[in-house]
Amino acid sequence: MKANGPWLRFAFVVACCVVVMLPLWWAAASALRPSEEVFRYLSPISVWTLIPREWTLSNFAALSQGPFAQAMINSALVTTLTVVIGLVVCSTAAFALAVLEYPGRGVIFAIMVVSFLIPFDSIAVPLSELFRGLQLQNSYAGLILPGIGNGLAVFMLRQFFMAIPKELSEAAKIDGLGWGGIFLRIYLPLSRPALIGAGLILFVFQWQAYLWPLLIAPNPDYHVASVAIASFAGQYDVDYGQMFGGAVVTALLPMAILLVFQRYFIASMASSGSKE
Amino acid sequence: MSSVGQGQNGSRWGEALRSGSLGTALLFLAPALVAVVVLRIWPAGLALWQSLHEPGAAPGFTNLGFGNYTYLLSDPVFIESLTTTFLFLIIVNPVQIGLALLLALAMDKALPAAGLWRTLMLLPVAVPQSVSAIILGVAFRPDGPVNALLATIGIPPQGFMTSTSQALMTIIMIVSWVGVGYWMTFLLAGLRDIPPILYEAAEIDGANGWQRFWHVTLPQLRRTLTFVLVANTVANFLVFAPVQILTKGGPQGSTNLIMNEIYTRGFLSGDMSGAAAATVILVALVIVVVGIQFRMMTERAKS
Repeated sequence: MKANGPWLRFAFVVACCVVVMLPLWWAAASALRPSEEVFRYLSPISVWTLIPREWTLSNFAALSQGPFAQAMINSALVTTLTVVIGLVVCSTAAFALAVLEYPGRGVIFAIMVVSFLIPFDSIAVPLSELFRGLQLQNSYAGLILPGIGNGLAVFMLRQFFMAIPKELSEAAKIDGLGWGGIFLRIYLPLSRPALIGAGLILFVFQWQAYLWPLLIAPNPDYHVASVAIASFAGQYDVDYGQMFGGAVVTALLPMAILLVFQRYFIASMASSGSKE
Repeated sequence: MSSVGQGQNGSRWGEALRSGSLGTALLFLAPALVAVVVLRIWPAGLALWQSLHEPGAAPGFTNLGFGNYTYLLSDPVFIESLTTTFLFLIIVNPVQIGLALLLALAMDKALPAAGLWRTLMLLPVAVPQSVSAIILGVAFRPDGPVNALLATIGIPPQGFMTSTSQALMTIIMIVSWVGVGYWMTFLLAGLRDIPPILYEAAEIDGANGWQRFWHVTLPQLRRTLTFVLVANTVANFLVFAPVQILTKGGPQGSTNLIMNEIYTRGFLSGDMSGAAAATVILVALVIVVVGIQFRMMTERAKS
């Protein structure tokens, strides 16, 4: 490469990062200024476009009083339960597909992977009809259930379980441990990185969900954050300060979690080469 | 499983039953199997059954037939949503994957603070699509900051989402904001897996930068690229939140992507059978397009 090559490369990378981060920065700045000033410092563009001239937490204070607070609680509850229940469902399935031996294992694995390859959103409309028939609309169960079985998480955990030496479970069996004990006391403790990766997949799926909660939980009491945000935009008299405040809160929490567990997320993406 | 004698298969079943491993396996598998059946197979079957058996808005529907499909395929609104979806896919996939590949190549070699840039590019993945739609939707308003930015460099204000010719491009920019960093992460992992010795050999053979990219990087990256292309196509087939929140398919149907069409048909027009037929068409299209992509990528490998 020519002498200016690395600089060109560096400039391109930095420029892309700036383009990606600017909207988030602007949203955060807008959330921290009085609502009526959101559009004030746009033309001409100045530093005040990106830095609030007058700082305030009033938007967040207002959010914590309104329906958005309930939506955040719903999101946190639904996502936490999805991750916990989803890890149980996915890890037991992965254990049965990786460690236990029985005829037809390959077929069951194929069925499971292929069915999970049907993109969830594409069947959300018929599924929501089914759920309404089961009286699951406007309920936490209705919001949580679709997130718990995730083909990518099963696949990833299975890969990890298969790499654990069989000698360990054979030795444990001789010592009188059953399959349940082997799963709980040998496989799970050894699989923390894979469990974190799978948990992140379940978390991101549920936190991002928009179409499904819109279909199954139209009652504002059961709105999740991603839907509550959109309902701001639908109001006649939009409070932009609050809207940006909500957007920042809804974006920051998963970003913080992703920052902490980033390497597990990248590892899970790289190893599976597959995405839900 | 080294039982001797006849009926290898039968003895495997027998042994599995005797040792209780089959029961144990079923116990472990049960929750996931129920999830697969209830959450994927049943609704997919339901959509197929409903589209064939229940009259929706289709006129002159008989008990079993393709009435919903012929009705749908003769509806200009649905046909336009299909063409819009394909136009969208033809633009958005190369844009996202091209940019992601450029970024991955730029980040593959040593850079100051490399980890920071990679993390920044990945961060939007965590942001729900409805949130990025809200933020960027305000940014692209006619009186918003993007036009203000354009004004400072002397470009007249653009209509963006209010313009029939620009609305789809604006949706493309909004979904690419998340997509590029996400796919870059996969491509970067793929680039890291290419053995350096291949580049050394190419260099000894006198290959220049472009030739190394064409004859080493691209073929070695084929598996990753195939995956990224397929997964990105599937994800873009299902784009919904930005459309539903920002344009509702408009102006004049210019952003009416197929997921918005299904939603509008089923929930706003109340034609659930038509929506079910559209769902079946969507799933079929995804399978066909993904199949063609796999074919193309593996055939290129042979030649």
